[in-house]
Amino acid sequence: MGEVGTRRILFAGLFGAAGAVYLALVGLYTRFADLELVGEQVTLGRLLLAAPALVAAYAVTKPRVAGGERHMLGLAPGLAVGAATGVVTGVAFSAAVWFADWFGVDRIREVFIQVSTVLIDFLTLDKGVPAGLLYLIVLSVAGGLVGGFARTAPVEVRRPATVGLVAVFSLAMLQRIIPIMLIQLGITADWLYSPATGGLSWFGAAIVFAVAAAASVLWSRAHEPRERIRKTVQEAPAAKLGLLVVLLAVASILPLLLGSVISEVLGQVMIYVLLGIGLNIVVGYAGLLDLGYVAFFAFGAYTTALLTGAFLNTTTGAVEPVLGADLNFYVAVWIVALLAAGVGLLIGAPVLRLRGDYLAIVTLGLGEIVSVITASKWAQPLVGGPQGMRGVSKAEIFGLNPQDNAQHFYYLALAFVILALFISWRLSTSRIGRAWTAMREDEQVADAMGVSTIKFKLLAFAMGGAIGSLGGALFAVSLGSLTPTSFEVLVSITALAVVVLGGLGSLPGVVVGAMVLIGLPGLLREFEEYRLLIYGGALVAIMVLRPQGLIPNVRRSRELKEEEVEQDAWAKTLSGEREAVVGVVPGAGLGGDREDLE
Amino acid sequence: MSEPAHLLELSGVAKHFGGLYALSGLDLHVDSGEIVSVIGPNGAGKSTMFNVVTGLYPPDDGDVRFRDESIVGLAPNRVTRLGIARTFQTVHLFPNMTVLENAMVGQNCRAKSGVVGSVLRLPSTRNEEERIRARAQECLEFFGSRLAGYRQEQAAFSLSYANRRRLEMARALATDPVMILLDEPTAGMNPRETLELRDHIVRMRDVLGLTVLVIEHDMRVVKGVSDRVVALDYGRKIAEGTYEEVANDPQVIEAYLGTKAVG
Repeated sequence: MGEVGTRRILFAGLFGAAGAVYLALVGLYTRFADLELVGEQVTLGRLLLAAPALVAAYAVTKPRVAGGERHMLGLAPGLAVGAATGVVTGVAFSAAVWFADWFGVDRIREVFIQVSTVLIDFLTLDKGVPAGLLYLIVLSVAGGLVGGFARTAPVEVRRPATVGLVAVFSLAMLQRIIPIMLIQLGITADWLYSPATGGLSWFGAAIVFAVAAAASVLWSRAHEPRERIRKTVQEAPAAKLGLLVVLLAVASILPLLLGSVISEVLGQVMIYVLLGIGLNIVVGYAGLLDLGYVAFFAFGAYTTALLTGAFLNTTTGAVEPVLGADLNFYVAVWIVALLAAGVGLLIGAPVLRLRGDYLAIVTLGLGEIVSVITASKWAQPLVGGPQGMRGVSKAEIFGLNPQDNAQHFYYLALAFVILALFISWRLSTSRIGRAWTAMREDEQVADAMGVSTIKFKLLAFAMGGAIGSLGGALFAVSLGSLTPTSFEVLVSITALAVVVLGGLGSLPGVVVGAMVLIGLPGLLREFEEYRLLIYGGALVAIMVLRPQGLIPNVRRSRELKEEEVEQDAWAKTLSGEREAVVGVVPGAGLGGDREDLE
Repeated sequence: MSEPAHLLELSGVAKHFGGLYALSGLDLHVDSGEIVSVIGPNGAGKSTMFNVVTGLYPPDDGDVRFRDESIVGLAPNRVTRLGIARTFQTVHLFPNMTVLENAMVGQNCRAKSGVVGSVLRLPSTRNEEERIRARAQECLEFFGSRLAGYRQEQAAFSLSYANRRRLEMARALATDPVMILLDEPTAGMNPRETLELRDHIVRMRDVLGLTVLVIEHDMRVVKGVSDRVVALDYGRKIAEGTYEEVANDPQVIEAYLGTKAVG
């Protein structure tokens, strides 16, 4: 294998095998064994069998930097290394399966409940150990080859192939949604989605692949029109507005196309979009890592319930809360947002002096306090304690009934999201946003340059809190009843994951992040129980592959991207001297070295 | 305080970090319209003095008065708002904001528009934003073509070292100060840039009407700009006067060249 040492291949291969064992133990293989993606042959389970070797091969063929030069493997050695990695993964995984079979599936099952004869049958294609293990090795080698190919093939081949495969995979994964949409539009697409398996037909997959790959080729060739499109969109306000109108139109007809089941998922996505927009102000704009964001969500939900005449659940029946009102939802929600801004100030005030990790820990604690209080006996007369509340306003308006109709709820949520997006966008482009950015980049220096850090930190908490409480208000309306179990630390973590995945400080990123993290697991019910595993995996992947997020904020991506800019050519010609001018890794010599401050 | 008040006056200022006395009993004053240079060997307490004046460190003892009012205990942003701007010894920009945005941050403390104005983009907010932008550009243009044109839209980290120093000064100027504190402004600049900067320091007073307090190691600059020179060593003032007086002071020569082992 020449350039890539045998030890590295061995190591990566074993790592892949460990991944495969993990996936087997948590039950992903058995869960997805029958989810047919393309034809009857390609199931998600089988793809996942090849995936560990693919990832391992992709990792091991990484270009190496030695002596300031990048060494990229050629295609042939790349494929060889990939195949070798696949063999190691396959053999090691087979050995593990063989061991499990010999040791006794039932004995392993006592600890790992997902291990069963069904799993062994799936892994060996019903051929049994050891004959079926050969099939396992073949799949791994195939995965390894794809991994090596994805890294070392020339870019003209690699990119269209990747785009094509991703398109096929995405369409296959969305087999519950797209056919419904097509039917709503009056299109029958039996050639694309096979009625027998539910997944793509081989013919349909081939067409999708060809179209996507061709589009990718055209897109990369058409450099000039692409530039022109980018310029128009960036520079012409009309083009921007047009784009917004189109997006808005799509967002408005979406629930009509998708039906009520999927609209319900969309509603959940919208709630997290709101939470993401709010948290993005605190974390993305102002750089304050808040892990207790659930506090605002809970506050918004409970205050909405109290203000709109909800009752406490008790063992003896419904009881009126100590403090409560019976307002119209559309009046109450503004009061809720205002109060939540006040809570933001309350939470912000004690943590003003804290930074980074310390801030994160303290806010985590504050968030926990809120969820403990809502569940406590002590607060029972106020918010219902463990039994919670019911009878939250239905928020009826213009003949819409958001509580009982998922499509109507979506429109209500969309209105809130648009409002929040607008406020957030306007703030970020104002002097307030500028102060937040300065504070995030270097708090002490911002302070020394006249930015009142106390004021702008509190403002960030207040705005973030107000928007987050709107998410809570919507949540209360969507369910009609509340229990403390909905307000656990997981909400904070999920909201943060949405913001980080989409790209800190990026509003489109928040929307996409919520769609990916909330929408996909909601749509693909099979994934529901693996939600957390997917969050973890998605976050690790994004940190490794695209640390600036899916749709990065311009400035954030600068922070993470090396950029070389030729400077002072003018001064150079004048003085005849070579100035040391290169784009410096952001931070170096600017914020990194600060002995005169501390 | 019976004599006419100085613009900035430090009296008996002390600051220690654990057992280390960075400043002890420092008296120093700057009058309106002066350019005062502070010199001294490394560790003499020059930057600490700046940090105490601008509110980054509270002094352990003594008083700092600006326009005859004590500014001890004020947050740095309050001090800046009162009219004292500063730069740092090692450049501290907002590296990922553009050059223009960096300067606009300086104007932040002179702006008033709040959440409602910003969200609704009220006319008053728009006018203010225009004003901030114009003022920031004006401050960048103080350095001629160095920070002009296309460079204003570039990220600050992409600037050359000398331009980062200039941008830091422009950002300080954008806070509309009465007095500017420059911490080794020529550090790392080549001889030609140093000369250019010397002119800029003089112009800050003559054209912009600022009072300047500058820490400087380059004696040609100190000689060229100073109305008065103050020498510090071990956190105390060891000499004060014109450049010639201070340069020939035996204590100053000793501090720089050393007649005893310095630990």
